Amino acid sequence: MASAARPRANPAFYALIALLIFMSIGPVLLLLVNSLKLDVDITSGAGGLLFMPTIRNYETALCDILWYEPEHLRFCQIRFGGAFVNSIIIALVSTALTLVMGCMAAYALVRFRFMGRDSLSLSTLAVRMIPPAVLLVPVFGLWNNAFCLDNDYGLGAWWRDTFGGRGDVCLAGTHGGIILIYVAMNLPFVIWILQSFIVQVPRSLEEAARVDGAGPFQTFFIVVLPLIKPGLAAASIFTFRIAWNEYLLASALADRDTMTVPILIVNNASEFDGLGTIFATGMLLAIPPILFTLFASRQIITGMTAGAVKG
Amino acid sequence: MPSIQLQRLVKRYGGLEVLHGIDLDMAENEFTVLVGPSGCGKSTTLRMLAGLESVSDGDIVVDGRSIAHLDPKDRDIAMVFQDYALYPHMNVARNMSFSLRLKKRPRDEIDRKVRATAEMLGLTPYLDRKPGELSGGQRQRVAMGRALCRDAGIFLFDEPLSNLDAKLRGQMRAELAMMRQSVRKNMVYVTHDQIEAMTLADRIVVMNGGHIQQQGTPSELFRRPVNRFVAGFLGSPPMNFLEAELVDDGGLHARGAGFSLRLPEDIVTRARKLGGGRATLGIRPSDLEYAPEAAPDRALDLRVIVSEYIGAQSVLICDCGGTRVTVEIKSETPIALGETLRFAARPEGLHLFDPETERAI
Ligand SMILES: Nc1ncnc2c1ncn2[C@@H]1O[C@H](COP(=O)(O)OP(=O)(O)O)[C@@H](O)[C@H]1O
Ligand SMILES: [Mg+2]
Repeated sequence: MASAARPRANPAFYALIALLIFMSIGPVLLLLVNSLKLDVDITSGAGGLLFMPTIRNYETALCDILWYEPEHLRFCQIRFGGAFVNSIIIALVSTALTLVMGCMAAYALVRFRFMGRDSLSLSTLAVRMIPPAVLLVPVFGLWNNAFCLDNDYGLGAWWRDTFGGRGDVCLAGTHGGIILIYVAMNLPFVIWILQSFIVQVPRSLEEAARVDGAGPFQTFFIVVLPLIKPGLAAASIFTFRIAWNEYLLASALADRDTMTVPILIVNNASEFDGLGTIFATGMLLAIPPILFTLFASRQIITGMTAGAVKG
Repeated sequence: MPSIQLQRLVKRYGGLEVLHGIDLDMAENEFTVLVGPSGCGKSTTLRMLAGLESVSDGDIVVDGRSIAHLDPKDRDIAMVFQDYALYPHMNVARNMSFSLRLKKRPRDEIDRKVRATAEMLGLTPYLDRKPGELSGGQRQRVAMGRALCRDAGIFLFDEPLSNLDAKLRGQMRAELAMMRQSVRKNMVYVTHDQIEAMTLADRIVVMNGGHIQQQGTPSELFRRPVNRFVAGFLGSPPMNFLEAELVDDGGLHARGAGFSLRLPEDIVTRARKLGGGRATLGIRPSDLEYAPEAAPDRALDLRVIVSEYIGAQSVLICDCGGTRVTVEIKSETPIALGETLRFAARPEGLHLFDPETERAI
């Protein structure tokens, strides 16, 4: 019935949609196709789709973490694989931590009454106004000097004995060091976004849960959290992308072993020989955020709270 | 099934006191209805009983044990909220079993309870639906079901029917009264609707401005209101009030603009103690009766302004020396608008109130 009442769509409308889809998918498709070609096929410009697909470029890109040695390589030059894994670890862990802390902090700011609540709520936003570059020098200094374990005794000594290395064990150069600063950087925005979702959860729902026998944590995790899933999804897309793309702070804090992909690309740009490898790394770089966004956006179902109250 | 006592219960929000010492005894298995105009503190009282609001002063005692400082979850109380407060991400069955699941009851017991409750409320076909896929009336039932599913000792209802349309409300009211027959539990029910209060209550508690005005059985309050507020609040259409002078004219009369009514003996003895003076006369519309032949000191002469036909009964809005008076009569009574007619007042339907204190005389 409903479809009959809808006016016939204009063919030009469909043409426009097709054009937009082509414009957004086209480059990714081109990237994918070229990443599966040999360099000769790419440069020959024979245009086309007529070629033998090969995963050789991906083997080159990930040579440092492959369990076998690709035949076409004499020597594994770029350590893209390691950086790729670092990026995934750092992006996932910092996103998870940000969400866990963010949703609890937002809940407290919205629902609890305590001294300084309003100024705290405001200052979370104020932190957003500071560009990350301002943080660079102090964070670099602190991470390298203040947050260190003396390597002569205790945990520091154990660390040195186990993992080796010279000098004190510092936060700089560890995954934790980068994750910490990403969490700090993204938390204000996540808190701010989640606050607006939590405000919309009717208070009587929480009261009903409390009367039904739920403690404060059960109320939060069983009743409130499922209802702000769209907010969590939006926030996680945001934090994941920032962590995935961030260059400035990571370049200052990462060392050889904890380098993320953006740092690796900038530092080793000259070592990327061959267009095919570049296309393959580009493809690899694009896949995690795409997968993550697709997964997270599935959680965004509008009208989550529909039917909670009278209506 | 416990007995509940509210002892000098006080609620303050900052410096603002909204409940001024509520004293209330509810016997075992009693259906208590708190009724009063909006903002009089009914919900606050109920929420303090549930543990959702802190107690500023006084105490709540259940079976001899103070529960004023317990968490809601430790009070063994089920509550139906005015806006239903259903968990939107859970289907009907999970909504109803929420509390039992939290208590980690065995699955088959939970299943059995949910099915029995759903059966009673006619919700069986909807057990798999989410609240968003239900109509207002069905959501209302789910909210009831969620409370009934638990074995709580005390049930609290905060205006559970106020969001339904008139027809559904009447239907649910009857169902509630029926459910009441099978579920013998302590129930405390808040409403601003005096019809709900009268039909459901074992005990009515009329509140106004953070005070209890009067409590008792519905018929006690209807027949013997202690003050003008209670008299005017209960009953529909509401009681008529006429300003009068008490004069001794061969028997005590209440005399006002356009009428002079002889007062019956029991009121006279009480009114004598006051020694004449002014009084407010109260007569319910149903205590006036079309009687052209009645003696003038037993009746009011009223000019009919509007007649509202509501079926078997009609409500006449009349004028009595400048005061509006409503009368309820059988519709077949021949009435013409604009005429002045005589209506006899039932002697047992006369109420007198002190115009200053508004207390019943
Ligand atoms: N959180 C609050 N802060 C201040 N005043 C409140 C609060 N909640 C209720 N009140 C006041 O308490 C009074 C009683 O409210 P309530 O119990 O909700 O009335 P009702 O009888 O309509 O249910 C009202 O005058 C209301 O303004
Ligand atoms: Mg209320």
